[in-house]
Amino acid sequence: MQLLDIRNLTIELHTEEGVIRAVDRINLSLKEGEVHALVGESGSGKSLIAKAIVGVLNKRWTVTADRMHWQGVDLMRLGPEKRRKIVSRDMAMIYQEPSRSLDPTAKIYEQVAESLPDSSFKSNFFSRSNERKDKVKALLHKVGIRDDKKVASSYPHELSEGVCQKVMIAMAIARSPKLLIADEPTTALESVAKAQIFRLLKSLNQLKNMSVLMISHELEEITDWSHAMHVLYCGQMVEAGPTDKVFNTPYHPYTQALVKSLPDYAQGLAHKEPFYALKGTIPPLQHLPIGCRLGPRCPQAQKQCVVTPPQSKVHSHTYACHFPLVKEKSKCNRS
Amino acid sequence: MQPLLKVQGLNKSFCTRAGVFKRKHARVLQDISFSVGHGETLAIIGETGSGKSTLARVLAGADYSDKGQILLDGDTIEDDGIRCDECRHIRLIFQDPTRSLNPGLTIGDMLDDCLRLNTELTKAQRDKKIKHTLTRVGLLTEHFEYYPHMFSGGQLQRVALARALILDPKVVVLDEALSSLDPSVRAQTVNLLLELQRDTGLSYVLITHHLSLVKHMSDQLLVLNKGKVVEYGDTLSIFATPKSRVMQRLLNV
Repeated sequence: MQLLDIRNLTIELHTEEGVIRAVDRINLSLKEGEVHALVGESGSGKSLIAKAIVGVLNKRWTVTADRMHWQGVDLMRLGPEKRRKIVSRDMAMIYQEPSRSLDPTAKIYEQVAESLPDSSFKSNFFSRSNERKDKVKALLHKVGIRDDKKVASSYPHELSEGVCQKVMIAMAIARSPKLLIADEPTTALESVAKAQIFRLLKSLNQLKNMSVLMISHELEEITDWSHAMHVLYCGQMVEAGPTDKVFNTPYHPYTQALVKSLPDYAQGLAHKEPFYALKGTIPPLQHLPIGCRLGPRCPQAQKQCVVTPPQSKVHSHTYACHFPLVKEKSKCNRS
Repeated sequence: MQPLLKVQGLNKSFCTRAGVFKRKHARVLQDISFSVGHGETLAIIGETGSGKSTLARVLAGADYSDKGQILLDGDTIEDDGIRCDECRHIRLIFQDPTRSLNPGLTIGDMLDDCLRLNTELTKAQRDKKIKHTLTRVGLLTEHFEYYPHMFSGGQLQRVALARALILDPKVVVLDEALSSLDPSVRAQTVNLLLELQRDTGLSYVLITHHLSLVKHMSDQLLVLNKGKVVEYGDTLSIFATPKSRVMQRLLNV
């Protein structure tokens, strides 16, 4: 069954100069126990989508969607109170920059203990504080914090970014949610801690059947364990589909550029040779080009590209491009 | 041939309180020695807290060492913590370009400050030099009048690079300068760095935890662990046959 089903999600910001459409008609569907990756550069609206799903965007943003179903319930048509209940029961989010999203005035123990739901306690009122302590300790151990006593009794500013990130994950999995949204969980970490966190998320996904929506701008770290991938560019979904298909046979020039900019995957690249990179930079949100937003930077751009390309679908692989890249092989066959 | 940058037995320790009267010395760098040739790239990798960033700061002159020498082109520029050279020949680029540039100054003023305080050039010469440097890193001369908030992240990294290059340094230290960038912007920046190295024979000290980038860009590799050098040598041979346990662990993940 579809856990999350979003169709034509649009997020707009009303400013004095007019309406800025930061996220433009995005479709996303997620089954139970799947890991999806949302890939895109900064400013492409990845975090906005995550926040819109959880419902924590502030009032300046207007969110519209044809449907946003969570297990068959349309979140958009629920009252805020009901929606919050569902979201807090079933979803959890790991925010960017953990040291900034933790409460600086409370100790780690209090913050983790606060996120434990009341229903998870078995003992009576008097022995509850002991149970709470044990649970916090178990959670911290689970995310790979060995020195639990010291961490639990310290404030966020006393800990390193990596440990803060682990604490955030511990708080997120305290309720054993059905969907975990991880917004760039490993940007602040070095490779050993990064691998640790990926292992943890992977095991949670396999053992508890937890779905994960991974948001990242690093392509290479999520390719080997995500089931599907959505590539965003400036708020438009340029390509989506099963990971290996998107990765091995990209249809969109932007996805191809992303894959080629990875030194490990660019075949036949000699030492110190320049990478393949698109020219120009990402346009700011105020000056988005019309039509296909990659247009001005795209090597294959033609006259038609000023019209927004429709989503085309080949098997389960969707892309939005007027001139999709055809595989070299089929070209050879034709000639 | 004589190496461009040579570091011999560098030591550094920080003093922290450990009680009312006691002081504790934490040794963050212990007997670090290495050398970098002309037009070469040395990569430094290690876990957090292994002293990578301290080493970068000491090299660039933002911090002083306790013991050991730094030699540039055969001349001693730092001997047991006494620096006899300004920040001219070794320049540092910081991790986050959005936070390491002064938001109140235009790009032109910022670059002008570097020249005014370090060189004897006249105003006209300085302006010419700034414009030349801006075009060299792939920006336009009109960007002279811009403020940092008007740029995107990738362009800011170019500004940071311009600030490092404007004094014609011999070595540029990149302290995690590439990790906070988006992949396509990173590819562009790497291309720019490699192009500059090819054209002008600049040397880089690259500090990062991005292993595939290390493999692609660097000639030599230095692995640090708890302030000590655990492995030092040719990048490709270390990647092929890592000897130390630290490097093996880094490669396994």
